[in-house]
Amino acid sequence: MNRSIFTNPYVLIAPAFLLAAFIILWPLFQIGEISLSNVNRFGQLKGFAGLENFAAVVSDPQFLAAGWRTVIWTVGIVAGTILVSIPVALILNEDFYGRGLARIIVMLPWAVSLTMTAIVWRWALSGESGMLNSALKGLGLIDQNIQWLAQAATAFPVQITIGILVSIPFTTTIFLGGLSSIPDDLYEAAKLEGASGWQIFFSITLPLLRPFINIAVVMNTISVFNSFPIIWATTQGGPANSTDILVTYLYKLGFSFGKLGEASALSLMMFALLLVFTIIYVRLAMRGERA
Amino acid sequence: MSLHWLKVAAAGSVAAIALASAAYAQTVRVTVAEYSSKTGAYFEKAAAEFEAANPGTDIQIEVVPWDVLQQKLTTDISGGANADLAIIGTRWLIDYVSQGIAAPLDGYITDEFKGRFIDTFLSPSVMDGKTYGLPIAASARAMYYNKDLFEKAGVGAPPANWDELKAAAEKIKALGGDVYGYGLQGKEIETDVYFYYAFWSQGGNLIDADGTSGLDSEAAYKAAEIYKDLIDSGLTEPGVTSLNREDVQNLFKQGRVGMMITAPFLSNQIKEEAPDLKYGVAAIPAGANGDRGTYGVTDSIIMFENSQNKDTAWKFLDFIFTTDKRAEFDANEGFLPVNAEEAKMPMFADNADLKEFAALLPDARFAPVIAGWEEIAAVTSNALQKIYLGEGEIKATLDAAAAEIDGIIAANK
Amino acid sequence: MKISRKLKRSILSWVVLSPLIVAVLFPFAVMFITAIKPATEVLKPTWWPSTPQWQNFITMWNATNFGAALWNSVYVAVLSTLISVFVSIPAAYALSRFRFAGKGFVQQFLLVSQMLSPIVLVIGLFRLLVALKLLDNLNAVVFVYATFNIAFSVWMLQSYFSTIPKDLEEAAWMEGATPWQALRKVFLPLALPAMTVTAIFSFINAWNEFVIALTMLRNQASYTLPIQVFSLVAGRYTVEWHHVMAAAFVATIPVAVIFAWLQRYLVRGLALGAVK
Repeated sequence: MNRSIFTNPYVLIAPAFLLAAFIILWPLFQIGEISLSNVNRFGQLKGFAGLENFAAVVSDPQFLAAGWRTVIWTVGIVAGTILVSIPVALILNEDFYGRGLARIIVMLPWAVSLTMTAIVWRWALSGESGMLNSALKGLGLIDQNIQWLAQAATAFPVQITIGILVSIPFTTTIFLGGLSSIPDDLYEAAKLEGASGWQIFFSITLPLLRPFINIAVVMNTISVFNSFPIIWATTQGGPANSTDILVTYLYKLGFSFGKLGEASALSLMMFALLLVFTIIYVRLAMRGERA
Repeated sequence: MSLHWLKVAAAGSVAAIALASAAYAQTVRVTVAEYSSKTGAYFEKAAAEFEAANPGTDIQIEVVPWDVLQQKLTTDISGGANADLAIIGTRWLIDYVSQGIAAPLDGYITDEFKGRFIDTFLSPSVMDGKTYGLPIAASARAMYYNKDLFEKAGVGAPPANWDELKAAAEKIKALGGDVYGYGLQGKEIETDVYFYYAFWSQGGNLIDADGTSGLDSEAAYKAAEIYKDLIDSGLTEPGVTSLNREDVQNLFKQGRVGMMITAPFLSNQIKEEAPDLKYGVAAIPAGANGDRGTYGVTDSIIMFENSQNKDTAWKFLDFIFTTDKRAEFDANEGFLPVNAEEAKMPMFADNADLKEFAALLPDARFAPVIAGWEEIAAVTSNALQKIYLGEGEIKATLDAAAAEIDGIIAANK
Repeated sequence: MKISRKLKRSILSWVVLSPLIVAVLFPFAVMFITAIKPATEVLKPTWWPSTPQWQNFITMWNATNFGAALWNSVYVAVLSTLISVFVSIPAAYALSRFRFAGKGFVQQFLLVSQMLSPIVLVIGLFRLLVALKLLDNLNAVVFVYATFNIAFSVWMLQSYFSTIPKDLEEAAWMEGATPWQALRKVFLPLALPAMTVTAIFSFINAWNEFVIALTMLRNQASYTLPIQVFSLVAGRYTVEWHHVMAAAFVATIPVAVIFAWLQRYLVRGLALGAVK
């Protein structure tokens, strides 16, 4: 083999690795420094604080409530997204009239920035002048306006639904990719043996789709856990903090209340939480794949 | 890699930027809050006029949406990259003063300059005898009422107290259709303020004489009862906790709300968006003892202590606080005049709506000057939302909020 | 007979998909209808304006300085995409072709680096840019987007590259080609679909990104589309909703067109890419 920079992996990796490390590690280092310091509301450090900031976050009842809600939020959206995306991908993988159009429509939410989608939904969900109520009324489904965002009991499920809608494009795309990699002869063989549609799905499609489901779970969990715009634009975590998740709580701590030390501590804890989840999930998923 | 080395490098480069720009021209960066689509254009024009009159100066206007102003200022200051001048909510000023971010302006203020202002609006920016900001925007609150709805419902005059308000709301509700008596804000910024109108009318004080929260008082319980009663009797719009100030104003513009309390800029919006709406402006209802309070609020423009071009920055401030520039700004945005000469101009002095607001000024109360006010306001809003939703009993909820607020006050001491 | 079966399948498919399609199109319908309403009707929740105001799009274009923001968005998205793909290809190539000490660490680091949301990092990032003297500069945003996308791009490209047989390059070496020639003539053409797909992901991320642009861009002349549209809504005492919706609607069109054009590619590229 010729000696060349094109065969030296370290040279090839260096630019990407250094840039990625730089953009992550420098800010992370700064956050670590702030989280261990007394810090004023403008981010200026005023001496070492030990773990005070971490203690303050953990002892805030809002933290536990928001943490628990974050679990519901993440699990709800990721599970909902996967459950919807599998059948959608199965359909979009079949040959039918207008498939190209259907694929574009399903991917459309991806074409709008999440902030904008959230703002449009807030506008549509308004109780008295929102178009969702007027549409449902027009269809005769309801006869009185529903105040969607007035209480968590309706607001939070609506927010999770929006979260699912905007996560479907990415997930469906991943699954479509997975489906198209399953060789057709496997299906034909199964049909020859007289397997039913369900049997084929559970014995061939689902197992072969599994690595893709794992990818979708990990990537979606990471992005949903950190997702800010939907909740912020519709309720800002209200009424009375009843729709706060960790990210919105973090934003309030840091930027509304000026507690940058606590906000930094919280963001490190969130990072650790996500890391632990991913490690556990990847371990379990890998064990499952081997079995 | 040592921390110290990084800091030195960072500080050095910031200084280098500052030096480079200082050598180039007298550059003054101004962070401006965006009040309406006219704000940016107004300041750009003012900057151009100022530059023309003062060769060698360069005024850079940075327009920031209100919702993210705090975040942006925090990040800017934290990175040492803040502007020379910035608009801030006056209720935030204490933090800027106590951390040495805002520069005192007394060295620049002459008697003539000071004489331009109406004292009510300048005084909130004065702390420990020093002036740290100039009131760039001022407003107070009064009650708007829909004359057509009042006439149809047979309500003669705008209500003078809360009992009359309830009676008027009942009559308006009896009209049927999707109109509501009293527009009640229950979401986002100033949810707490909407409650203070009732609270102050009962003789309440946000911070008691002993420096603790006034939410655990009879006045607060009574005020919350008044609002809760209106909600439960169906006299407000439904789902109050999902409507912020703009949402309630929109209902008012559509003629679907009989009464609401808000700021003078609603008049400007009605003129442009609902010119056919017949409305009046009246005083905020009083309590049994005749107590009454309106919310006075100003935004201040401050100079940063680390500004490299304070003299030029001051000259620009001097320029935008001349009577004509102020009049132009306030007419655009629908704010109250802060300048005494300006207030005498016909467009303000002969404006019937503004007269009502001006009449309320003696009752105006400003947000208390204590650190952590934003957090206290959030605690108050949360408690109110619980009460409005029926998730918490009035006394218990307000007492708990008061205890939490006392904790915040103590922590910030 | 065969055609009628396909027809039946088509009808069934569309029927099953219809709830999702309605839900997906609903916000777009809201945007579009609000965009063509006259200013006085915007607040009324009717589903059709009394007279469609097509000129709203033109007044919006001028009122919101849409052209400049559109250009900024295109500039940022294209340039950051090019940089991140360009830097990621060699790294992904190395990860898929060579065994070396620290490989596992690099791969794990890349996944972990995806776990920090920009909101969490924003203060640190801002200080970084101040230190680099890159503030208020579209190129700073390009730099941040590009580096943020590197982790994902390398990850995608690497798993795809692993599916391209190594024999082809080795055969080229046998014939006396230098590693560079083998790369250019044999490997890169095969890797083109994966590069396209990765580029689309990067492009969409950059096109829609909000928090970083909001923090780093100071004056309106450098605003990208999401910020420009947001500044029409956030905290103004009155919101011109018909303009906001018109702007949001127009901003989605370029990306929708890209989807329409590349949707097959997207699926095929990913298909091969995700299998390790």
